Amino acid sequence: MKTSVKHLAIACLLCLSACAEVQYISAPLAPVAAGSQAAERILAQQAVFRLDTGYERTLRAGSAWRQAGTIAQGEVYRPVGAVFTLEGANIHEAWLVIRGDALAGFYLPAERAFSPLKSPVPLYFNH
Amino acid sequence: MIVRRFALLAFAAALTGCAATGPKFAQQEASTPKLSADKGRVYFYRADSFVGGGLRPQVTLDGATVGKSTPGGYFYVDTGAGSHEAVTSTEVSNKLSFVLDKGETKYVRTKVSMGVLVGHVVPELVSADEAQKELATLSYTGGAQ
Repeated sequence: MKTSVKHLAIACLLCLSACAEVQYISAPLAPVAAGSQAAERILAQQAVFRLDTGYERTLRAGSAWRQAGTIAQGEVYRPVGAVFTLEGANIHEAWLVIRGDALAGFYLPAERAFSPLKSPVPLYFNH
Repeated sequence: MIVRRFALLAFAAALTGCAATGPKFAQQEASTPKLSADKGRVYFYRADSFVGGGLRPQVTLDGATVGKSTPGGYFYVDTGAGSHEAVTSTEVSNKLSFVLDKGETKYVRTKVSMGVLVGHVVPELVSADEAQKELATLSYTGGAQ
């Protein structure tokens, strides 16, 4: 009985920890100029990282990302032929924000906002 | 003993419910109108599963009811380009935010997950490739119900 109560408590804690909201701040996007060729990058190595909400995300090696524009925090790339989302209490479509050679966070196009990562994640692209 | 067995059967039936009926995707698509150039299309669907079959929450898009999450069913909505929010509600509301371009089609799968008292039905964005494989076996339920 005691074990069941403990398991229930652990399950409740897991549920609660997975309910954190995705944090973001407003970030206007300067889109890639119409008529100009948007840069496309292919990820050379898989990247796995954990969001502040507790959810893990994987960027697959070979996945293609096309530049959508720029925000103050970096260059914004959207997935090509795929979708990417951030998950917390709710789910948000998300694009990558890259600064230098690292993933700085995410652009949430529906919210027009930036959601930072606690620590940048190095990304390796094919050149 | 018989009453107990009957109660168990009734409970199981309530949990599973019935799968959606209606034309299958390929059949329905033949008569689905083409998307107009100034709009985008969002498909909402749910795989046929034993788990949480009795949960059939309404699906809202930007606050308006557009259909119901039914096991084995799908429907679609044509809407303007821009930011959108899809919501399903059981004991809590689960939200999905996404953008839609003109002429773009996006796919939202509603999926049953564990809740505290009852299961949750969560809307999630999926790729066209993944969605089209799953939609092939599903039945058209029509929009707002």
